[in-house]
Parts: sequence; structure tokens; C-alpha cells
Amino acid sequence: MNKLLKKQGSNICFGVIVLILAVMPLLYLRGVMNGSTISFLGKCIAFAVAAMGIDMIWGYTGILSLGHGLYFALGGYAMAMYLKLQSTGGKITDFMHTGGFTELPLVWKPFLNLPLSLLLIMLVPGVVAGLIGYFIFKSRVKGVYFFIISQVLTWAAYSIFIALSPYTNGNVGITEIKSIFGSIKGSSNIGNMLLLFYVALLIMILIYALCRFLVNRKFGKLLIAIRDGENRTYFSGYRVSNYKTFVYVLSAVIAAIAGAIFVNFNGSITPSQMTISYSITMVIWVAIGGRGTIIGAVIGAFLINLSEYNLSSGAMVEIWQYIIGAVFCITILFFKGGIVGFVKDQLPAFIASRKRKKNKGEEVPTKA
Amino acid sequence: MTSNENVLEIKNISVCFDGFYALTDIRTNVKRNTIHFYIGPNGAGKTTLLDIICAKTKPTSGNIMYYPKDKEAKRLTGMKEYKIVREGIGRKFQVPSVFVNLTVLDNMILSIKGHKGIIDSIFKKPSKKDLEDIDKVLKKVGLIDKKDECAGSLAHGQKQWLEIGMQLVQKPEIIMLDEPAAGMGKPETFRTGEISKEIKKECTVIVIEHDMDFVKQAADIVTVLHEGKILMEGDINDVLADKTVQAVYLGRGGEG
Repeated sequence: MNKLLKKQGSNICFGVIVLILAVMPLLYLRGVMNGSTISFLGKCIAFAVAAMGIDMIWGYTGILSLGHGLYFALGGYAMAMYLKLQSTGGKITDFMHTGGFTELPLVWKPFLNLPLSLLLIMLVPGVVAGLIGYFIFKSRVKGVYFFIISQVLTWAAYSIFIALSPYTNGNVGITEIKSIFGSIKGSSNIGNMLLLFYVALLIMILIYALCRFLVNRKFGKLLIAIRDGENRTYFSGYRVSNYKTFVYVLSAVIAAIAGAIFVNFNGSITPSQMTISYSITMVIWVAIGGRGTIIGAVIGAFLINLSEYNLSSGAMVEIWQYIIGAVFCITILFFKGGIVGFVKDQLPAFIASRKRKKNKGEEVPTKA
Repeated sequence: MTSNENVLEIKNISVCFDGFYALTDIRTNVKRNTIHFYIGPNGAGKTTLLDIICAKTKPTSGNIMYYPKDKEAKRLTGMKEYKIVREGIGRKFQVPSVFVNLTVLDNMILSIKGHKGIIDSIFKKPSKKDLEDIDKVLKKVGLIDKKDECAGSLAHGQKQWLEIGMQLVQKPEIIMLDEPAAGMGKPETFRTGEISKEIKKECTVIVIEHDMDFVKQAADIVTVLHEGKILMEGDINDVLADKTVQAVYLGRGGEG
């Protein structure tokens, strides 16, 4: 039992989360739950996916990127551009009119086509991350310097997206869009909503499986090796910069997929999803859930977002950010492994002590 | 491809850090299948010399030629560090640097020769022969019982041996040990000496060390460095008898 928990603990835990999520739409059909909760859970799925990507780059490889909001938003925008064109029937939008266009700009044209759009959702962030990663990691920029660069790049992209308002609608972002399966608002569109929800859930399962597969291979061990002793890894004959770039691109693509899922549930995307504070929030999910475990990222993303959804109303709105900040600090200072790390440390001891108590009531030798 | 008895030829190497010469015009050859010691007081440039060989530091001038067995000679200066490792030059660092969060076995698996690309590391599993080789090396360094333990939980000396083992499993031609006996007690140091002699049969060993007992136990050739220059090179007995060496190094109580 103990061994099974140790080996399969995170898979079992993930299975439980998936089961609970899978039941939610049924509760909705019964009328126990309202539609907005379901679409909120959909957004949480997107966040969990993004968090898994962050865990790969930060938890395993030890590269703290505070700029993954950029890739989340790139994926989101790509999805939103397709969806917007669907709702206008391929015609140009109001904000393009205002910006002085008479016909669809060239960069929007590929998004008339669904397969091409889906490809671009992953390709654009992948290429951007590949270029950035290649140059940064090749020149061996790391630690604090890396996360300053990642912040600056995100800030630059944010400014560009606002400045290019004829293309992106600036501050307002791309709004009033339906999901990929049609509108999900109102009781008449339950079918679309459920379809979208289960597709999102399936994507989360696939990403989880992919991440678990990678970290259980020699590849995953090597990421840990890079985190714990980069020098040693170089002098063991590995081209560390290639590995770093690969993981960076992987996590960027995962963040982009998450962004695309998010847009479907949210119905809009704005540059605020690209900001630094949004990127930091993602890192906080992983830290609190427990980095370097994959399942910790999922747990953290759900836990924090669900608490925020339920708690941050009324007077709590103002202090919510402070609470999260405090929890983050406490986690970093006292529970480096986050929730999952804490359970992993305490559970075996707890089970053992229960067993000992059960076996005999007499004195229990304390273990150092 | 004439059979050269030298495996490494260090030619006129100088290193200058902001005007300070850490090494000046170093010329020394390392013979195949020997244990070659570099000794000298602190700041003599011993570690810098190893840094140069494995490309951690770039020399200001000079170059290093490497003569692998049955292969063409190669110029090491200017090569990337991971390529030098793949050519067969391994290095153990002064501070034991093993991957503390991985098991002893995983540490060894990561060090196996070959399959260092991304695709291979995702899809290839270590072969049966690789695992047998690992077992063999672990027996040699005395860590076979600790195979599944976390490397971080090993004692200091065991970490040193593990790092030596990680180099051995790469099947190197040259293995460089930077103070392998640092922080070890007498019996452990002796053991390390015996391990070095064992390694010598298959490859060349370059060692930096302060412990003179260890040097006496294992050395074939000793080179004494002092303030970035070679003071003398030769047999251990010659070195111990030399007046200048005694003055600058041994006389200062360097042997501890």
C-alpha cells in the first residue's frame, strides 16, 4: 500500500481530480451548479495546463521564467483571432476600420482557416521561445539575469500589442467571441459547453501524460541534473544549452495551448494576460502546489484559483492579493516542496506511526 | 598515427587574468597510462591548468594537443567543453559535484558514454551492457551497496568516489582528479590511492593533491608548480630531495 502510494501517488491524485472534474457537468445538468461555474472550471483547466509547463522549466530545470504570460497570451490571441473571424464571417472588424484598414491585414489571413490557426497557436510561441531561448541559453545567461530578461521581453511584447491597436485592438483586446464549438452562454447552448469542457479536460490529461512521460525518462533526470549541477552536466558531455532551449520551447507551447483553452471559456483576450504580474501568478501556483512534481502544479492551479473565485468577493477583494503574497512567502520560506512536498514528507511517517500504534500499544521507539 | 607515448602535450600555455599571470609559459607532457601529479602551494595555478585542459578557462596563448589511442591527434584549445568530454577527457571537481537529488545509479546512468542528445535521452534506455559496466565501476569504487540511495545522503568521501566512478563509466582516456582526497581521513585517502592505481590500467590519471602521503603512494611522475611556473618535474624521490621544492613548498608544511 505504502509502496503503491509512493510510486503511483501523483497518478492516483491526478485521476481523482479528473474524475471530480468529469462529474461537474453532470451536476450542472441536474441544476445544482450554474453555467458560470463550469466555465470557470474550464479556465482552471487552462491554468493547470500552463502551470504544468512552468513546472517543467522551473520545477525540474530550475530556470525561473517570469514571462510565460507572454506565451499564454500569444496562444490566446491566435485562438481569439480565428474565433473573431468566425463571428464576423471573415470580414474585417470594427477596430481595424478605426485603425484605417479597408481589407483584412495579412497577419490575420491565416486565421481564416481552422487547422492552420491551431497549428499557429503552437508554432508562433514555439518559434518565439526558440529564438529567445537559443540566444539566451547559448550565451549562458542564467539565474536572476534570466528572469530579468524574461520580464523585460514580456513587458516589451505587452507594449507592442497595445501600440499595434489596428491589428490587436490595443488595451481592449479581442472581445465578443464565441467558443470554437459555438456559443457557450445560456441554457440553450449546454451541448457546446459540455463538448468544450470535455475537450479541455482531455487536453489536460494529454499534457499531464506527456510531462510525466518526459520526467520519468533519462531526460527528466537530466533536467534535475541541470538544476542541481549545471557545471557537472556540461562536464559530463551534455550540451546543456540545447536541453534548456528545448524545455523552454516545450513550456512555451504548453502555455500557449493553455491560453487557447482559456480564450474559449473566457470569451475574450486582453493584453492584461500578458503582464508580468499575471506571469508571476502562474509561478505562485506551482510554488504553492509543489514544484518538481507536475501534480503539484495542477493542484496549485486549481486550489488558488478556486479559493480566489470563492473568497475574493466583497471586502476580500482588496486583501486577496496580500493573502496570496503571504502564502507564497510562507511556502518559499518554510515549505519549499509546497503542498505536495509536505504531504510526501509527512505521509510515510504518518502511516508508519499509525501502524505502530495499531500493532502494539506499548512504547514506541522514536526515530531520529 | 605514430604511437606517441604522450597522451597530452601542453605547449607554452599562458593565462592572464586582468594583467595577473596565473600560468606563464607552461610546457609539460603527460604520458599514457601513468598517474601524473601536479603539486604546489596555493595559487600555483594547478586548478587553472585543469580548467584550461577541459576548456573551462581559455588560455591567453599556447595550445594543447591530445593524442587519443588509435585515433588522430586533436587540438583541445578552442573546443567546447562537452565535446572534450566526448573525446574522452573526464574531470572530477575540487568540491564533489554529484547530482544530490538523484540516486547513485541515476548519477551513473547520466554519465554513460554516448547518447547525450535530447532524442536519445527521451527514447533510449540504458542497455544491459551499460548497466553491467555501471555495476563493475560501482564495485571498483565500493559503492555497489549504495546503488539506490540518494547521492545527497552519501558521506563526503563516498561522494568523491561516486564522482570518480561517474568519470570512469564514460570510458575516458584521461581522467583528471582535482584534490580527490580533500577532506578524507587516512584510510579513505589510502583507498582513493588504490582506486587511482586501478584506474591507471585503463587510462591516464592526472591528479592535483596536497597530501604528500597520497602522492608518495600513487605518483609515477610529479610536476611541481610555483607561482604559475613549473619548478621541476620528475620522479617523486627526486622531487622530495630537491632543495628549491623543499624551500617553496614542502618546507612550509604543505604536506600537512
